[in-house]
Amino acid sequence: MSQLLRSYTTVVWVVLVLLTGFSWWLGHSSASIQYSKGPQLATVFMFLVALFKVRLVGLNFMELKHAPLPLRLLFELWGAGVCIAIVCLYWFNAA
Amino acid sequence: MNARVIEAKPVSTRHIPGELGLWIFVLGDMLVFGLFFSVFVFYRAQNPELFMQSQATLNSNYGALNTIFLLTSSWLVVLGINAARKNLNGLAFKLLLLAMLCGAGFISVKVIEYSEKIHAGIGLTTNDFYMFYFILTGLHFFHVLIGMVALAVLCVIARRGISKPSDLAILEGGASYWHMVDVLWIVLFPLLYLMK
Amino acid sequence: MNKRSQLICLWAAPLMGVMVTIGWWLLAKFVPPPLPSSGAAEIAELFRQNTNGIRVGMILLVAGAGLFAPFIAVISAQIQRIEGSPPVLAYTQLLGGAMSIAIILIPAMLWTTAAFRPERNPELILLLNDASWLIIAMTFSPAVIQNVAIGLAILGDKNQPPIFPRWVGYLNFWVAFLLLPAGLMTFFKTGPFAWNGLLAFWMPLVVFAIWFNVMFITLLKAIKRQPDVGVLR
Repeated sequence: MSQLLRSYTTVVWVVLVLLTGFSWWLGHSSASIQYSKGPQLATVFMFLVALFKVRLVGLNFMELKHAPLPLRLLFELWGAGVCIAIVCLYWFNAA
Repeated sequence: MNARVIEAKPVSTRHIPGELGLWIFVLGDMLVFGLFFSVFVFYRAQNPELFMQSQATLNSNYGALNTIFLLTSSWLVVLGINAARKNLNGLAFKLLLLAMLCGAGFISVKVIEYSEKIHAGIGLTTNDFYMFYFILTGLHFFHVLIGMVALAVLCVIARRGISKPSDLAILEGGASYWHMVDVLWIVLFPLLYLMK
Repeated sequence: MNKRSQLICLWAAPLMGVMVTIGWWLLAKFVPPPLPSSGAAEIAELFRQNTNGIRVGMILLVAGAGLFAPFIAVISAQIQRIEGSPPVLAYTQLLGGAMSIAIILIPAMLWTTAAFRPERNPELILLLNDASWLIIAMTFSPAVIQNVAIGLAILGDKNQPPIFPRWVGYLNFWVAFLLLPAGLMTFFKTGPFAWNGLLAFWMPLVVFAIWFNVMFITLLKAIKRQPDVGVLR
């Protein structure tokens, strides 16, 4: 058990939980940022963090790091595509 | 990311988790959720004030807590599958059971959240934000319920032990599906609860 | 074996596709759908402007819907090869398909009724049009049941090689899931989940087209590979 726990997977899980906490904090404090574009930039940053988390889960938990390249590529494409779509629709419509 | 790969896994041979066909479903499902996400942001941009006001009535602690539940559940599933591969059947069973417990935690929080909203008189037709909130989280919730059934099947297989290749394929396939549910929530959390 | 009759039944499907496309889409001009938010006067005007287009279009839709039956039967015949006896999933699929045909025929005849006397009270035309759209676009359960039955059968296939590729089973589950949002259109007159919306109309339409083509091609291959002699196993 302890051998299992001391694996790379556990490091990934800790990073994921910390990033979730960070996003949660960013969501609460971004309204009080003085800079006029602050909340917008914080939102874009949140989705970049989400993309990073998605990749951590995909590559490590879903084992796509060791999967045939096309499969991994489709997953990466999804992550990048969703992130770009959300950020562009958000930025160019709101600004 | 590649610096600390210490798993006892052959890196040279590339391996499809589960079976190829399953990935048609997983990627197809993710594609459709991606479309839903984009449509949400598009509608949000038409009426940002309304979406911001409605979002402010959500409790983002619930969203964060549920993210932690699913992340932990996914992590336990990974440990469980690795244990099953090493034929540690009892341990694998326990880990997957704990993963189900986290899934149950997610479901409980979601039920509390839904009932709070419904008691406050907020529903699917309240406004566009809540339409998306209920439909996106509702479809995701449906996936969680199916995932719980899948995890129960994985528990049974893990307890019995891997006796044939198809057992391993089912374990990996079910795990991949559960991780997909996690991935979708990772995007839904900032989308519905956090973005400004 | 009965390969020839299976192939005849299978080729009814593209014929159906052509008739439905010409009738429902080009002649009746029901794609893109009239707005669910339109008032009685606007909807009645559509039926007055295009009375004969709708009448002929609906004849083609009715004819095309009938041709769905042999196609459904071929799916069940191939599922039966997987299941052996009793073929409950084949029956389930068959019943789901039969209900699917009904939810095309009923709105086709309601639209026909509206176009029969286009000069009638616009409120009644609106009612018939509402009923038609809700029946044809919202009734998700027959198709979902059909897809789940097909998916379960394919994934349970023990034949070597399998009758259908396994990914077709997963595809059917995916389709079943995508048809679910259509069930929500009862709540909305505008937006992505209304009967003309991106997620309740266009997405299911594209998904149905993908499903239809995949099933056609894999059925064609399954029939051609079927052994010529002997009875169903």
